[in-house]
This record gives sequence, C-alpha cells and structure tokens, in this order.
Amino acid sequence: MKKGKRVNVAYWFILPAAIIVVIYFFLPVILTLGISFTNMSSVTGFSAWKFTGFENYLKIFQHPDAANIFASTMIYVALTLCIFNVGIGLLVSILAYHLPKRVGGFFKSLWLLPRITPTVVYVLMWTMLAADAPYGVINSIFKVPFGLSTSNLIPAHAMLFCVLVNGYIGASFGMIIFSSAIESISKDIMTSSLVDGAGFFNRARYIIIPQLRWPLLFVTTYQTLSLLTSFEYIMLLTDGNYKTNVWSLWAYHTALNNYYGNFRYGFGSALSAILVVVGIVFAVIYLKFFKFNDLVKEPLIDEM
Amino acid sequence: MQKKVLLYPLALGLALSPIFANGSSEAKQEGPRTVKISVWTREGDTNHWRADLAKEAAVDLNKQLAAEGKDITIDPEPYIDGGDWGGFKKKYALAADSGEAPMIVISGHEDIATWGPAGYIVPFGDSVNAVEKLAPQFSDIKDNLWHCVTWNNKIWGIPQDCEARPMFFNKTLLKQMGWTDAQVAALPQELADGSFTQEDLIATAEEAVKKGVVKQGYGYWHRPLKGGDFIQFYVTNGGHIYDAEENKLIIERDPLIKCYEFQKKCVDTGITPKSYIGTEWNIWHNAVANNQVLFFNGGTWMWADWAKNYAKGGEDALFKNIGYGYEPTGIKGVPGTTLSHPLAYLVSSPSACGSKDQDLAFRLIGLMETTERNTRHAVESGHLGVLKSQDTYKTYEDSKFLSSCAPLLQNNFFQPNHPMYGIWFDSFWTNLVSAEQGEKTPQQAADDCIKTMKADIGDQLIVR
Repeated sequence: MKKGKRVNVAYWFILPAAIIVVIYFFLPVILTLGISFTNMSSVTGFSAWKFTGFENYLKIFQHPDAANIFASTMIYVALTLCIFNVGIGLLVSILAYHLPKRVGGFFKSLWLLPRITPTVVYVLMWTMLAADAPYGVINSIFKVPFGLSTSNLIPAHAMLFCVLVNGYIGASFGMIIFSSAIESISKDIMTSSLVDGAGFFNRARYIIIPQLRWPLLFVTTYQTLSLLTSFEYIMLLTDGNYKTNVWSLWAYHTALNNYYGNFRYGFGSALSAILVVVGIVFAVIYLKFFKFNDLVKEPLIDEM
Repeated sequence: MQKKVLLYPLALGLALSPIFANGSSEAKQEGPRTVKISVWTREGDTNHWRADLAKEAAVDLNKQLAAEGKDITIDPEPYIDGGDWGGFKKKYALAADSGEAPMIVISGHEDIATWGPAGYIVPFGDSVNAVEKLAPQFSDIKDNLWHCVTWNNKIWGIPQDCEARPMFFNKTLLKQMGWTDAQVAALPQELADGSFTQEDLIATAEEAVKKGVVKQGYGYWHRPLKGGDFIQFYVTNGGHIYDAEENKLIIERDPLIKCYEFQKKCVDTGITPKSYIGTEWNIWHNAVANNQVLFFNGGTWMWADWAKNYAKGGEDALFKNIGYGYEPTGIKGVPGTTLSHPLAYLVSSPSACGSKDQDLAFRLIGLMETTERNTRHAVESGHLGVLKSQDTYKTYEDSKFLSSCAPLLQNNFFQPNHPMYGIWFDSFWTNLVSAEQGEKTPQQAADDCIKTMKADIGDQLIVR
C-alpha cells in the first residue's frame, strides 16, 4: 500500500476515537473555559449569569491562598508520582519478574488490594490506623507500650498520609504496565545479559529500564495528569486541612461542594482551566524529556 | 373553486384546533388527577420524621381535598439523603436547574439566600400575616423563628426544627475534682450570666488533667469536624457576622483573634489533644457520652443519639453524668450564648420542580407541622420545638431534656441569610484549623482569614 493511501486509511480508523475525544474531552474543556469567564453560581442558577471577563482569573492570581495551594499540589503530585506511581510500581514489577512466577504473581496481586477496596472503606482503614489511642492501631501498638505520648497522626503528618493513601493505590497501575512491558522484552536479550555476567542491578539498570522508555513515558504522563485532578482520597482523609488543600479539591469545593451550599461554578471553572493548562505544560515537558519523537519514528524496515 | 371550498373549512379547523386542544386539556385538569409531592431531606435514623411525616400528612390532606369536592390525590414521596450537607445541596441545586427538584426540600435556612435569587424556591408570602393565612398551623410558629426564614422582605420557608448548641459538662467528673453539688448545679447559671468564662473553662479543664480526673487532652473537646459551632466563640468574644441594614457580612479582627487564641490555648494547655481535628465522629460520641471528657460542645440533637447509640445506661446515665448550659463568654460579665440553626421547609418553583401545585405543597407542610407530629420529631431527634403550643404540650413537657433546654433559646443567635456566608465561613474555618494546629499564630490566621474574605467576598464584606 502506498504511504499516502495508508495514512488516509489510518484517519478512518482513528475517527471513532477522535469523535469520542472531541465530545467527552475537548468540548468539556471548551465549556469549562466558557463558564470560567462568567459569574455563574448557585445564586445566578444556569440562566441569570453574566460574562465577567477575566475577573475570576484575576481573583485567583490575587488570592492569598493560591500560592500555598499550588505548592501543596506540586508537592503531593511529585512525591506520589516519584515514590509510588513510578518508583514502587517499577520496583515491584522488576522484583516480581525475578521471583518464581507464582510467588511473583501473588506479590503483585497484594498491591492490587487497595485498588479494589471501596474508597470510603479504604480511607476509613487509614483513619483508624492513625487515630489516637486507644482507637488507633499505630498508637496502640507502637507508642502506648513504650509510654510515648499519642495523638491522631493524620493532622500531624497530613501530607505524608495523603501520599501514602494515594500511592498505595497508584503504584499498582504502573506495576501492571511495567510488568507486561518487562515480559515483552526479548528473552534472548534477558538471557544473554545473564550469560554475560550481569547481576540483578545491572540487568535492571542496563537492560530492563532502557527498554521501558515508552511505558515510563505513558505512566509518568498519565499519572501526573491523574494526580493533578484527583482529590477524593484527600477529601475523605483531611478535607484539605493541614496544608493538604490541592488545586483540584479547591476547585471542587468552590464549584460543587461546600458546607453552606453556594456553588461558584464560574470561579471553580477558572480554577479547573488553570489545572488544564498545568497538565498540558507537564505533558509537553514529558514528551520532550522522553524524546517522544524518537519513540514514534517509523521503523526503518517498513521503508525498505 | 371546489378546492377552495374544501380548503376554507380545513384552514378554519386547523386555526381552531389549539383552542379545542386547550379546551380538552382544561377538561383533563378538572378530572381526577394525582399530584406527586416529593419531600427531600438528609439524615435518617432519629431524624427520619422530617421526611416521613409527609406520608400521614398526605392522608389528612387527601381527606380535606375530598371534603372540598376536589378530585385530587396527593402522592407523597419522602426521600432521605444519606450523604453530607454539601452533597445534598449540590443534588438539589442540580435537580432544580434541570427541572427535576422535589416540590418540598427541608434544608438549612441559610439556603434561602442562595436558592431564592436562583429561582429554585418560591416565597410563601410577603409577610408573616400572609403566610399564616395559608395554613392554620403557621400561626403557631414561634415569633423569633420567622426572622431566619425571611430574606429580601419575604418569607421563604417554614421553620421545621430548631436546636441549641450547649456547652456540655460532666457533672460526675467535676465532683471528682472536688466540686460540690451546689457548685455543679450553679454552673448553667454562671454560663448564662457570663461569670464562668472561656478562661475559667480552660483553667478548670487544666486542673482536671493535673488531678488525673481526665486523661491529658480530655479536658475539652470541641466538634471534631467543620461546623457552625465554632462561630459561637467568635460571637462570644464580641464578634458580629452580619449587618442587616446594609445586607453585608462583617468580620472583626479582634474578636476573631480572641476566638483563634481560645482554640490554640486549649491545645497548648493540654486540655484538647494536639492534632485533634479530623477525629472520627464515633470516637468522639463514644468518649463524651461515657464520662471520658470534662467539657464538650455539641448540639441538642446529639443527646438523642448518645442515649440511643452510645451512652452505657442510656438517657438515665446521661442525666446522671452530664449537664449543659450556654457556651461560655470570652468577655467576663457578658452573657453566654448559643447558636441555633433551624431547618426549614422550602417549596420549589414551577421551573425547578415542573409542577404548579405549590399551594398543595404549602398545605401539606401545614399538616406536617401539627403539634403532635412536630413534637414526635423533636422528642425522637433531640430538636427543640418550633411551635408555641409545644410549650404546654404534654409529650413535649414530658421530655425532660427538651423542656430543660428550651430556656437556652432566650439568648440564641442565627447565622445570616446571605449568599456569601458559606464563603465567609470557609475562610473562618480554614484559618481556625491553622491556628489550632500551630501552623499560624492566631494573629496571622486572623489576618489571612480577612485577606481571603476580602478577595472572595469583595464589597459585600465589612471589615472592622
């Protein structure tokens, strides 16, 4: 098939997915942008709102909490992503590969448990782990017997708990992707590395990780965007108190859920729009860092 | 020509068809019809009557309609939402915007200032007199409660229940500290007249910890999560929230600092646990209802919950061990006070609920609000009555807890009906947490609170 014709066929194949992307992803962004230029809220309803230009954006940039919330968001995303979603995800998948198949499978399935536990139950388990003695497990087992003073651990180490609670769930995503990618590495290469005398660390460093550039790009990008917009575990754990208010939770509380019920859709949409921009910036950085263009180069063999 | 002869009657028929159609529609409306009246609220368990009273009220209303010769049947649909208030309000707002709201919603009175201008709810009338004509029971509403359902010179709701938010104290623990029966019995009056202050509370709780009567951190427990209770300590330090004449919210720096200082001092003196906010509710209820905490502030509705679900020995044990009074003042000699947050019956507009039978909803509410029914809800849920007739109603009088709490309403206050109040409160709360946790000094927290309020509320805020 000629190259031009092949490209045309490719467009047809991509069309259904493109339609879905436009309807469910692109249009909501346009809608969010549109609403962000209005004063739409519970008070105006969906009919009596007015365009207010960049007022919401000005309010965000002048808001005394904006810088702190942005910093908390970056800390939360960076720690969860590096330690758990990529770091532990990669470590678990490499370790499991080197274990006997059944043991490795069992080890990996343990990491899936947090993901299949209902969110509220999962967070409740953490709150009961961290609660003050005599209710909390950690305080009762590790502090009371040694005469140490006890307290509710979540407020004292709020960001740590937010990272742990999210991380134990997020790690399994990377683990699945990386595990399947490691399995697909040519057995010849893996075996010859052993023949050449490579140990566990050298094989991981020089054989496995370089082969995982594509899944690493995918997991890093996907999980960054996911973490930027995820707030449900933080909401249940701290509700944004103790310096754990992240940008998406701020947007949610502003636009859709606050104690006395005046939802500011316009202001919340402006907050969300900024999150979209931040997400795009991160995605572009990752594409450059992982040399995306090299990854998607056409295989030379097809051109022969 | 023949064609024209045929066309004229056809055109005439088409032109008149809407008239005939309307006529038949009118005829349909006069025939038997069923009006579905959904009633939404949240919180089941001891509060289930809020919605469930609609069923028996509808039976009465159907009898009345039949006696009036109207061929209308009311079909009530009570619904109790199990989520939090924020989720419930979101659900209602989104339903109202899509024309699928329930005809009656029972929610906080402060929602009037948000849902009124949005067109979600309709006013009952322009004055109390006008509302009282809608149903005989409305004349029985306590006079001071009309204030909290009034917005923009109209009456937008019917108070459904009310409460006080007392400072509870453990009588048994006070006696273990050496207090006499007479001293314990005098405490409610001292809280009322302002002779027992917030400083006295801290000192007493500190002493209880030092004497080993309570554990470290168990001298005073406030509500563990976000809630209106905390503004009582702003108000009892001289703070104001609302200027009714200008219809603007107020924030005052000095009372705000004092309020935050009080919270911080409770932690610093070891009477409230460090890192306490966020404690699970069931842990909180279990501890306060079973003599582990000396002072704790909550709401009257919690009494019913403690008696039913937490206190070993039930309500008898509660009466033996626990006393209550106004929240202590921050300024010696200024009387203590308490916050009341009445829920109100609100009626959705035709565009919000797709029905034009609001008059039937008003009548149904009237029948849900009879002395017997409202008292049943009040007694079972630990809420204070909203009707004048309840003061002499035997079942209400027989409720030892409710009748003893009723005097607390002599010096209570309400939150304002202002659309930006929720935003005011969010800023107040966020910075209170920072101050109590020691992330900011009380002064820094107060300044940040004011800065945020200025940014969010703008010219609808008065800063003093």
